[in-house]
Amino acid sequence: MDWIYRGRAWVFGDNIGVDGDLMPLEFALTRETDPNVLKSHTMGGIDPEFAAKAAPRDIVVAGKRFAQGNPHIQGLLGLYGLGLGLVVESIPRGSFRNAINAGVPILPHCSGVTAEAETGDALEVDFENGIFRNVTRGTERRYEPLAEPLLETIAAGGWKAKVQQRVNAMKAGGAAGEHA
Amino acid sequence: MAQTVTEKILSRVMGRPVEAGEIIYPEPDLVTVHDWYVVNFDKALKELGVERLYDATKVLVCTDHEPVAVSAAAAERQRRVREIVAEYDIEQFYDAGRGGHGHIFPMELGLIRPGMFVFAYDIHVTNYGAIGCLGVPLVTEISEVLACGSAWIRVPETVRVEISGQLAAGICVRDVAQRMIADLGADLVDYTTVEFGGDALADIDFGGRMTLCNTPIEIGAKSAIVETDAETEAWLDGRLDGPIEHVASDPDASFKKTVTYDLGILEPQVAAPPTPDNVVGVSEVAGRRIDYAFIGSCANGSLSDLRDAARVLNGRRIEPHVRFIVTPGTQEIASKAAAEGLLQTFIDAGAIVSAPGCGPCAGGRIGPMAPGEASINTGTRNDFGRLGASEAEIYLGSPMTVAASAVTGRITDPRELM
Repeated sequence: MDWIYRGRAWVFGDNIGVDGDLMPLEFALTRETDPNVLKSHTMGGIDPEFAAKAAPRDIVVAGKRFAQGNPHIQGLLGLYGLGLGLVVESIPRGSFRNAINAGVPILPHCSGVTAEAETGDALEVDFENGIFRNVTRGTERRYEPLAEPLLETIAAGGWKAKVQQRVNAMKAGGAAGEHA
Repeated sequence: MAQTVTEKILSRVMGRPVEAGEIIYPEPDLVTVHDWYVVNFDKALKELGVERLYDATKVLVCTDHEPVAVSAAAAERQRRVREIVAEYDIEQFYDAGRGGHGHIFPMELGLIRPGMFVFAYDIHVTNYGAIGCLGVPLVTEISEVLACGSAWIRVPETVRVEISGQLAAGICVRDVAQRMIADLGADLVDYTTVEFGGDALADIDFGGRMTLCNTPIEIGAKSAIVETDAETEAWLDGRLDGPIEHVASDPDASFKKTVTYDLGILEPQVAAPPTPDNVVGVSEVAGRRIDYAFIGSCANGSLSDLRDAARVLNGRRIEPHVRFIVTPGTQEIASKAAAEGLLQTFIDAGAIVSAPGCGPCAGGRIGPMAPGEASINTGTRNDFGRLGASEAEIYLGSPMTVAASAVTGRITDPRELM
């Protein structure tokens, strides 16, 4: 997996809600989990044009408590469907787990990062090493990257794909270890 | 390296020292799955192409959320659960009428030991902390544990709560526990183990310890655990083979925060709608008419809770407009409550004694409320819709407050009847 995302910044403030802002609640209620269905509704509560404007490997930069609320995975699957990276000041643990399980590259603890970019800036974010470069401004910041096992889940394409890999490895006679 | 109880237990499981913040894939000593999720994990495993569990001997399935099926669909689901359990060779299957509430009876039957680590598909597995076992809930990923033996967690930091002081007459551990989560707050407790210690713990029995370990999950704790002591030993006597392993944090372990909490609160506490940490003194809501009372759930389905309620009833009958459901947590609790005459007290008062398990608290499938009604009960949560109709109001209180309110038909300070 290429962990370095080069794309445009899409900057949002604090308290982006998982239901409504990030994804219409109806998809959580109908338990829709297909990223291809969900992607066109991503961020629809804030900017209905967002999904049409964002390009794969663009980066969502958000403030504190991103995806707060009842931890439904649909909004995170929408980000995955669009192929976006995610850099946030903080994220509640349920949505953090959902971001990993949805396969979204994320830097979860980037204090003050919303002041480091404006929507439209050219960014280069290394999710493996926690390096955030604003190419437009010529600045660079370092944040705590994810632990290795979580990077592996994202590289596999999310939780379902990772578990399928583990199951297949076990069936092939390999160890059931976490890195199988 | 000085360690918390949580770090010690997870280090033992991993076979190497671990510390708070690490991402690990621990293999649990036991996995518990409750009736309603069994058909879902079967579907998930079939999608993954899994035919055998990683270790069926470490899986426990119980029928507690809806022990008495209340619809044709529920009866069909129970039938499927029995088939699925047989298909995967799960021998630890406690069907309706066999164990009772899955967050309680495994401790009674000696299936849970101090120092154990358990994953469960249900958040209130933290109850096992009452005897020093670390219970951690998972949701979807329980199928990964069943198939592959483990799933990732971050080793939680620990908030240490030193219990001090003494309970006043008419005050229950539930009053303290819900006041405490309101005071601690979700920001502090999020993703931590809430660990209880301190001198006054000696005065809190098994039932009270379950209540302490049950409530923090409502504000986002990952687990909760009580240090083992003489009371743990006394309660486990005759339930476990061999000596018990005592668990305690090292005095110089690294805690996120240490707080002292005094049992000596002045007034019974009630959680008003819509969240369990929206807690006020009973005097603020006293007098509100209630239609429905319930004592039970994993928070307050213990023998000591039933004793507290019976003491308040003391031969009184409940108001005619109130229906009052009492759900002993387990078969053992129901049996002891019968032997002590507690069930007679409830029946004489006009209460319905229901099958051991979660009772109405499991989403109101059993004995739901109607729109416009109000309830006070000892369930775990008071979200709108928790007991059926989303237009019903739910207040949470201690077994004493609930019993007193059933008698008067209004939210009542139990000290007025004592």
